[in-house]
Amino acid sequence: MHPLLRLARDYGWQRRWSYLAGVLALLATNGLAVRIPVEIGQVIDALRLGDPVGRHAAGIVLMGLCVMGVRTLSRVLFFNPGRDVEYALRRDLFAHLLRLQPAFYAGQKRGDIISRASNDITWARLAMGFGLLAAVNVSTAFLLTGGQMLVLSPRLTLFVVAPLALALVVVRLCILALLEAQRELQAETGRLSDQVLGTLQGIATVQGFRAEEAFIGRFEARNEALYRLGMKLAWLRSVAFPLLILGSGVAVALLLGVGGPMALGGDLSVGDLAAFVALLATLAGPLRSLGWLLSIVQQGRAGLERIFELLDAPVERPEGTSPVAMPGPGRGPGLQLRRLSWAYPDDPARPVLRDLDLVVPPGAVIGVFGRTGSGKSTLIRLLARVYNPPPGTVTVVGADGARADLVTLDLDAWRARLSVVPQRAFLFSESLAANVALVDAPDPARLRAAVSAAALEPDLAALPQGLDTVVGERGIMLSGGQRQRAALARGLYRDADLVLLDDVLSAVDHQTEARLVETLTRLARGPRGPTVFIVSHRLSALRHADRILVLDQGRLVDQGDHKSLLGRPGLYRDTWEQQRDPGAPAPVGGAP
Amino acid sequence: MSRREASTASLLATVWPYARPEAWALALALAVTPLVAGLQLAQPWLLRKAIDEHVVPGQAQGLGGLAGAYLAVVAGAYLLQVAYTMSLSFAGSRTILRLRSALFRHLLGLSQRYLDGQPTGRLMTRVTSDVEALGDAITAGAITLVLDALVVVGVLVAMALLDPGLTLVALLLAPPLLFAVDRVRRVLRRLFVEVRDAVAAVNAFMAERIDGVEVIQLQGAEALAAAGFDQRNARLRGVTSRSNVFESLLFSMVDGFGSVVAGVLLWVAAGALGQALGLDGSLLAPVSAGTVVAFVDYLDRLFVPLREASNKVAILQRAVAGLVKITELLAEGEPAPTDGAPLGEVRGHLVLRDVRFAYRPGLPDVLQGVDLEVQPGQVVALVGATGSGKTTITRLLDRSYDGYRGSITLDGRELSSLRVADLRRRVAAVRQDQQIFSEDLAFNVGLGNPGISPQAMDEATRLVHADRTVQALGWTHMLRERGADLSVGEGQLLTFARTMAHDPDLILLDEATASIDSLTEALVQDALQRIFTRKTVIVVAHRLSTVQAADRIFVLDAGRVVEAGRHEELLALGGRYAALARAGEGVLGG
Repeated sequence: MHPLLRLARDYGWQRRWSYLAGVLALLATNGLAVRIPVEIGQVIDALRLGDPVGRHAAGIVLMGLCVMGVRTLSRVLFFNPGRDVEYALRRDLFAHLLRLQPAFYAGQKRGDIISRASNDITWARLAMGFGLLAAVNVSTAFLLTGGQMLVLSPRLTLFVVAPLALALVVVRLCILALLEAQRELQAETGRLSDQVLGTLQGIATVQGFRAEEAFIGRFEARNEALYRLGMKLAWLRSVAFPLLILGSGVAVALLLGVGGPMALGGDLSVGDLAAFVALLATLAGPLRSLGWLLSIVQQGRAGLERIFELLDAPVERPEGTSPVAMPGPGRGPGLQLRRLSWAYPDDPARPVLRDLDLVVPPGAVIGVFGRTGSGKSTLIRLLARVYNPPPGTVTVVGADGARADLVTLDLDAWRARLSVVPQRAFLFSESLAANVALVDAPDPARLRAAVSAAALEPDLAALPQGLDTVVGERGIMLSGGQRQRAALARGLYRDADLVLLDDVLSAVDHQTEARLVETLTRLARGPRGPTVFIVSHRLSALRHADRILVLDQGRLVDQGDHKSLLGRPGLYRDTWEQQRDPGAPAPVGGAP
Repeated sequence: MSRREASTASLLATVWPYARPEAWALALALAVTPLVAGLQLAQPWLLRKAIDEHVVPGQAQGLGGLAGAYLAVVAGAYLLQVAYTMSLSFAGSRTILRLRSALFRHLLGLSQRYLDGQPTGRLMTRVTSDVEALGDAITAGAITLVLDALVVVGVLVAMALLDPGLTLVALLLAPPLLFAVDRVRRVLRRLFVEVRDAVAAVNAFMAERIDGVEVIQLQGAEALAAAGFDQRNARLRGVTSRSNVFESLLFSMVDGFGSVVAGVLLWVAAGALGQALGLDGSLLAPVSAGTVVAFVDYLDRLFVPLREASNKVAILQRAVAGLVKITELLAEGEPAPTDGAPLGEVRGHLVLRDVRFAYRPGLPDVLQGVDLEVQPGQVVALVGATGSGKTTITRLLDRSYDGYRGSITLDGRELSSLRVADLRRRVAAVRQDQQIFSEDLAFNVGLGNPGISPQAMDEATRLVHADRTVQALGWTHMLRERGADLSVGEGQLLTFARTMAHDPDLILLDEATASIDSLTEALVQDALQRIFTRKTVIVVAHRLSTVQAADRIFVLDAGRVVEAGRHEELLALGGRYAALARAGEGVLGG
């Protein structure tokens, strides 16, 4: 389906009454525009005859004022729905973007997406505003004039139609080339946007290594490409669209050169010929508008294709339908993993998890240890259902022993019971409070509790407005450790039954880490008792866990508590020795 | 906005240097316009001639010639039209090209302190769509406003010659129109500036949420994000809809006003107004019908360019709004420092004395009197709890952030007096967040520096064990945004290679804390050792092994150095360092 038709169907149609009112206002405007010259002619006649003109003249003034009103109205009634359409399309686009999954974003550039949502979307507005107005104007003019021409003389009409049709064919060919160039231009704009974003985000490196000129050089290459595409488009456009006017001029010349002799020969009335020429003259404006319209249609098509491409990207959200049967409040669920194997969809040949078998009792604190690439984060992502694990491999066990396959559970309900803190501590440029709560109206008491549990309280004093400090893009105002603890506080703010912490303590110092691990363990053992997974490459963060899973190349190679794992040779004990640092003297007592 | 609005003229003056090289193209467009108009006027004249002199009287001879002449005129008009559009497009596109590059260059020269407070999505909007509006204004022929004005003046003169009295009446009616148009123009300009703001806000919000989309999804905060977006999106719709109303009003006002003036003039011409006001007939005597017909015709001609102009006024105001944002950025952005004394090769003797620093005025000092000294060739470790100021010190040393108090000297010269470009040639930093660009591998290592030979890049990558990545992927491999296709360890080694390839004398190294598998970890450790033996290094250390390799350790607490010495000495001291070392097996501080 042509993207413009789709836009009209999905977004324009529901605003049809506004358009209809716009058409009425347009008719009124045009009616007045025709009426006023007639009225002026009458006044001049009256003037000539010496008749009183006061009433007529006042009528003209009044009509002039009315034109101001109805013309404004006609434009507003056509243009504002265009804005509405733009708004609604952007809203839907953003809502869709929020639902698209990581697999989608892996193949996208952020700057390009924003370029689509900001630059390409304007074509939707133009098409549904100015474009429609022009379409109505142009088609009315052509219908009326064309009809009258046909009535006057079908033969002469042919003289008019032939050059115009020829011009249209050429224009059509140009439009195909235009469409191609327009697509390139919009894609290039996206790339340029992305480059600007990427460079600004790496500004510390760019400036630190005095690489400004190199980056400017790359930018200028893109900018130059954009310029060349723009000029190519300008050529095509400026050559193509005035062709329609040229066509109508050729038609007039034809009328004179061929119709003139015919009229002289008596085949045609002189009056008809004159009327034809006059009619053709009235088409000049609409023909110019037609050029604009074709331009909007063609650019709008290229732009909207890019919008709909995003909107049509399948969400592939790992939905489920059953209600979540969790143990009653205050008890984390148990989990059973049976032969869980997993490979990411974009690399199915490389299994990341292999044959995991595991029983996690309700309310347990599970440590997950392994090297990079051992599958720790993947395990967390599967439990959080960023991707759905294969059916039947993960079973959730409620307090009353009710069992359900994880993937059948309603996704939103499942995530509502979860608290996931991913490895990358991502903060928004909002207040710290808003970042921690991520809800509309944060509860102050819970906020304080979460901040304090995440050991973030001492840092608040150093921030200008405490919890209300806006942290800057990606939390730039905070140190790495502060960012991590803010993300952790976000995880603790929620009253979750299952807490998944993916290596969230890597940037905090060890005293803070020890305090946090203690808090988390207390939380898990306390009356609320969520089930907790702590992923870390630092064994100090794991040693208080009820059970530690040791992953190696996607396999569960060992499990047990800290003591038992130390008691047998293996990856865990090796790492422990390594991290303890054999050269260091054994810790001795002494006041810190 | 509390600030006084810059005048349109002064804003255009700002941008004129970017358009000046194409002044000839603008002049060409301006010169072609009357020709186009002339050829367009010739068409009805030829037509009338053909019908009146040939068709009606039945004079066939010469009709063919007239038809030919008409064709020539039409073709000429077409060609001139193409020339006109192309010269404007050329001028507009070149101006955009230049302005965009200038803006980007300006952005790269801004201080990090300033950029910290600017959402990148917003800055991106300035470089892309705000610049675009300006080109539109040029291309859409804002320049022909001059011609429109000339036509208006010409018609007015003709009217005055015909009948000064009626012209006076017409002119008396003009002030309310001009007043109204000016009001609307001002409102439009303000609204368009608001539109630019709203667009930037929408883009910035969207950029950030897409960046953090996984967090939003996992936290189930989609509704909150959608609400936040809707607020900005609705603001944009509101302000654009309002601007629409005024834009429509501007056009319609000028359009309808022509009729109003015609009506009043007719009234006056008939002497009816004089009668109605009880005035003496001699003051405003009835005018001849011929004059009235001519006058009404002139009025039509007067309002055609006015209507055209009112359209262009809106386009111009939109461009001016974009310009307002652009000039704001050009003027307000705090530039990174560029002046200072030149600096050659350094030995790396660094002394900090009572250094204090706050990121922004009004924020508490992050450094509260730091004293430390680094000897040439030394490896110095900074250790301390998270937020103690370790990273901040390294940010001052390559002057990523300026404005420290106290004294920092490099080989005896005060840091703030040195030329930044020279300083950064000598001092390079490896930051904690690996900044990988979506460019190829070679560019990510050499950063386009022509002074770095391929051999130097090979050597640097081999030295820090990044050669495995290069072999696996190839130098021309395009890396993904933020190194998404590299492991953390690979990214780390790549940033080491980047630093070594640039061959600085002093390296600031913020040791990464993210998890790295033990194999890569061993490579990273070895790479670090190799760097340590070759360069003077200040390392923000997290690993005990790194700290032990240091010649001297400074322990920071709340923005001050509280302990200094070697690992064993500090352990023996049993103070802050000993506590840190005891708490973390193998890992220190944050």
